[in-house]
Amino acid sequence: MKKIILGTMVVASLAFSGSVPVVADALYQKECASCHFGYQPALLNKASWEKVMGSLSDHFGTDASLNKEDHQAILSYLVRNAGNGKITTNNDTTRITQSAYFKKEHRKIPLNVITQKEVGSLANCMACHTTADKGSYSERDIVVPNYGRWE
Amino acid sequence: MKKLLLMVGLSILALQAQEFNAPMQTYMQALSLEAKNTDSTFNGFDAKRGETLFQSKHMGKKGVEISCTTCHTINLKNNGQNVNTNKSILPLAPSVNTGRLSDVKEVEKWLRRNFNDVLNREGTAREKGDVLSYIITQ
Ligand code: HEC
Ligand code: HEC
Ligand code: HEC
Repeated sequence: MKKIILGTMVVASLAFSGSVPVVADALYQKECASCHFGYQPALLNKASWEKVMGSLSDHFGTDASLNKEDHQAILSYLVRNAGNGKITTNNDTTRITQSAYFKKEHRKIPLNVITQKEVGSLANCMACHTTADKGSYSERDIVVPNYGRWE
Repeated sequence: MKKLLLMVGLSILALQAQEFNAPMQTYMQALSLEAKNTDSTFNGFDAKRGETLFQSKHMGKKGVEISCTTCHTINLKNNGQNVNTNKSILPLAPSVNTGRLSDVKEVEKWLRRNFNDVLNREGTAREKGDVLSYIITQ
């Protein structure tokens, strides 16, 4: 009995770690999902978002600058909804894909699967997590292109 | 009579070509004034010059060769693709994507970013006006 309860708890907590609240801000969606998938605020901690927003004119080699007003509004949305879950722990970079938890979860994916044109980069969450836009990263919704289901 | 026919013909052509809406016309006038102020020989924007600029290659922000066509392709009626992220980009041509070049704020923002990415600096008023004069004909 104890085992079943424990088992259920573990499953529940895994399922929880695999999902985050959806993007609920139209301006953020418009401005920060024009070049890539709109990453949910809970995927980075507050300090990381502040860094991202502090360097938009040289954003991973591209200019993603905003006017003052939109910049302020988006920064405040991100900071208010920043994450504190496993995926954000000890991440002092500007990348979700550099967090220790993220790296651990994705370490088994072969390089040629990532570099193929359907994916291109691990930052392209939607290429494999078919329900990433609904905030769900759970394993049952993963379909890796030219690889199939991940199980 | 011939003149009249010609005029009718021309105005039909003009109707078929896309036109800037009022706020965009005001923006183009401001660009034109700015271009004149910095260059006394300036006498109007030129779509042909804009096309050449659009297709020309430069050492971009990332230190690799890039042009406007790298992301938007050479045919503005086609979908493009963001070379940095693989995300697809809807056509720039207003004739197939009517929302294009209709919102000054959007246009200013993307020209600032895209010129920085391609030329490693902001565009001049003349360059921006030329390129917009080209895109509007597409
Ligand atoms: C002009 C295009 C553009 C815009 C606009 C843009 N980004 Fe990005 N973003 C990129 C590129 C390019 C990368 C790097 C992608 C890669 O490495 O595959 C990136 C990566 C990121 C990453 C890191 C992903 C990872 O590796 O974990 C974050 C976080 C991010 N962007 C947030 C934002 C936010 C917030 C906004 C809105 C303020 C925004 N982006 C707007 C182009 C853009
Ligand atoms: C190349 C395909 C691919 C891409 C791109 C990708 N992932 Fe994953 N992701 C996976 C796979 C496969 C797993 C499961 C790994 C395992 O369990 O072995 C996974 C697992 C996860 C998990 C853990 C899920 C759980 O239920 O515990 C999270 C969270 C996650 N990914 C988030 C992201 C985010 C956020 C992005 C984009 C920044 C991303 N992934 C990009 C393939 C991908
Ligand atoms: C790195 C990829 C990339 C390059 C290079 C690029 N663009 Fe863009 N451009 C984009 C993206 C992404 C958008 C916005 C996406 C969307 O609205 O669908 C955009 C939007 C635009 C718009 C906004 C149109 C509107 O009204 O909605 C204009 C104008 C434009 N680009 C012109 C240019 C010019 C001129 C150049 C060359 C100096 C250029 N672009 C180079 C990626 C690029």
